[in-house]
Amino acid sequence: MTRTSRDVDELVPPVDPSAPVSLTEVFNWVDGREEGNDTEPVTHGGTAVSTDTEDVDLVDAAVVENLGRVALFAALMGAFAYVSFPNPFSPAPVTLQVLGVFLAGIFLGPVWGGVSIGLYLAAGALGAPVFSGGSAGLAPLVGSTAGYLWSYPIGAFVVGAIVHGGLSVGDPREAGLIHLVGSMVAGTAVVYAMGVAGLMLVLGLGPVAAFMAGAAAFIPAEAFKIAAAVGIVRSDAFVAE
Amino acid sequence: MIETRDLVASRGETRVLDGLDLTIEDGEFVLLVGPNGAGKTTLVRQFNGLEEPDAGEVLVDGRPVQEDLVAARTAVGMVFQDPRDQFVAATVRADVAFGPENLGLTHDEIDRRVADALETVGMDGRGDERIDRLSGGEQARVAIAGALAMAPDHLVLDEPLASLDLPARRAVRDRLERLHDDGTGIVLVTHDLRDVAELADRIVVLSDGRVALDGDPDAVRDRLEAFDVRPC
Amino acid sequence: MLSYEPGATVAHALDPRTKLAFQAGFAVAAFAYTTPHGLAVLSVLALAPLAAARRSALAAAWDLRFAFPILLAAPLFEGVVLGPPWFSLAQARFPALASYRVVLLLFVSAAYVYTTSARDSRAAIQWLVPGRPGRFLGLGVAVVFRFLPVLVADLQRARAAMRARLGTERPLAERIRIVTTAGLRRVDARADALSLALQARCVAWNPTLPRLALGRRDVPVLALALALTLSPLL
Repeated sequence: MTRTSRDVDELVPPVDPSAPVSLTEVFNWVDGREEGNDTEPVTHGGTAVSTDTEDVDLVDAAVVENLGRVALFAALMGAFAYVSFPNPFSPAPVTLQVLGVFLAGIFLGPVWGGVSIGLYLAAGALGAPVFSGGSAGLAPLVGSTAGYLWSYPIGAFVVGAIVHGGLSVGDPREAGLIHLVGSMVAGTAVVYAMGVAGLMLVLGLGPVAAFMAGAAAFIPAEAFKIAAAVGIVRSDAFVAE
Repeated sequence: MIETRDLVASRGETRVLDGLDLTIEDGEFVLLVGPNGAGKTTLVRQFNGLEEPDAGEVLVDGRPVQEDLVAARTAVGMVFQDPRDQFVAATVRADVAFGPENLGLTHDEIDRRVADALETVGMDGRGDERIDRLSGGEQARVAIAGALAMAPDHLVLDEPLASLDLPARRAVRDRLERLHDDGTGIVLVTHDLRDVAELADRIVVLSDGRVALDGDPDAVRDRLEAFDVRPC
Repeated sequence: MLSYEPGATVAHALDPRTKLAFQAGFAVAAFAYTTPHGLAVLSVLALAPLAAARRSALAAAWDLRFAFPILLAAPLFEGVVLGPPWFSLAQARFPALASYRVVLLLFVSAAYVYTTSARDSRAAIQWLVPGRPGRFLGLGVAVVFRFLPVLVADLQRARAAMRARLGTERPLAERIRIVTTAGLRRVDARADALSLALQARCVAWNPTLPRLALGRRDVPVLALALALTLSPLL
């Protein structure tokens, strides 16, 4: 297959099977087209003509719609990092990230909600400034915020599974108030338990210090987010499909 | 060539197109106009299979669209109303390359197409810029480049000028004129004929899901007001 | 805010997979050698990527400022003892080293973020996770990069509109609900439009992936990454 390297910006000649395989080739061969590997686009004098349309494996319309929704929700989760409200009970401002976790489970269900938050983590790890304070990179996933971040997809799954009573997605408005609030209380528990565990593991804190540093000041504000989420589900202002 | 034959299509429960016949030749510049709800958007989404007909046929180059979606979507490039919602990548070059990448073209061919498309819309040399930092007019031009990189025979634009200020409208209009001169067919959906009427070979007026008027601009011009279209 | 800026530095020219491997190796070594000696060596290594990216460590520290309060607080919290002398240096020692280790990790990954475009990252992830899951992940990540600024603007607009209507006098839960509802509505509308645009551009499972090629300069960095990854076995 025709690849160009960064250093030598010209076509690499076809690989001679008897020649030793270089590191570059080892890295690149996997990276070719997954299907139709032996049908390279036709080239004439260096310029490719249009492809054979049968080789293009279109993504189904239903999958595209799902992908768009799940990925945009992940982006919304990232945008929540940029919105904060003054906290009436604590100097730490109220940010909306955990609310994003609740809403992912409620509106996308346990599986797609979890996938959506997983996409959020992947995008952040690869450099989208979506973590708290506009942070990004792999470090937040192994640093002091590690426990919270890894808890988010699990939290979304737990919230979704309780609200929808299983893995399938229904209309969240049909869930009773107790289910709804209970799911978010469980979600909050998952987030802070893992968050505190992360602080203990990464910063070497004992349980009391970790709880004081990473949960005590924040947990009361979760009540506002739960109330807001109930309001969103109960009002007809936003109806999930 | 795009043809619809006795095309019937609905949006939700409402029948929007009701036995519509229309033929658009290669290289034609067509203005598609009509009152709100006349079915313009539904019609152009039929051209490349984004929506399916209830009855009747849509053919691109003589072939039913749903039989070969990839062929239809490469022959008919689409630009939607709000450019902000149609970018898939954060930077200009990465976004324009998205279509050709899906077609599985070689890297050299993708690079060539991206460079050509950016030059055509006057955005050459700006491939590394972030799309969210561009003006509305520049975003509209990058959206057009994204469609052009598929090397379409027809470029269909659904109200791309609606949100632009006058200088940006003029810039986009000039690019469309040049594309048409170079042989690309253009279908422009609009409810505002200012600036663009003199470019068109033909004006098609939709009303109640059918073609109500169809002819060259001079012949159609005087009768447009009956269809709630602002004349030129 | 940390984000990619185009450039022509050595760090920009490295293959994204090399940079990911270095970060992973560095993290392994940092957790294995959380000692004054180990961290001293790693401090030098942590500044190298920033130098290769032509970024000052101070500017990076400013971009990372939101991470620092907890890192400062951790040893203080852990050092507190009930009763004289009220603070135990011995107890605070490990959390202080652990916090410093996180600072180093933050610097290393900041260098990645500054120098790696979304497109390169997407190529790396699709190389790492082959097949349809990788494609889904790659597309999803691209959409997050693209729509993050759009949705931030949407939320800010919703907030400004709420303020303009004296919304600040409403209860907190109500204000959160109003802003969030606006965000969800925008997500819904934009998702529909994006899905059409993706289909119109023939979104496929088997696209040509962006170029990825290891060059000569990747070799020493990869070797170092491997050494760091294996360092706990020494």
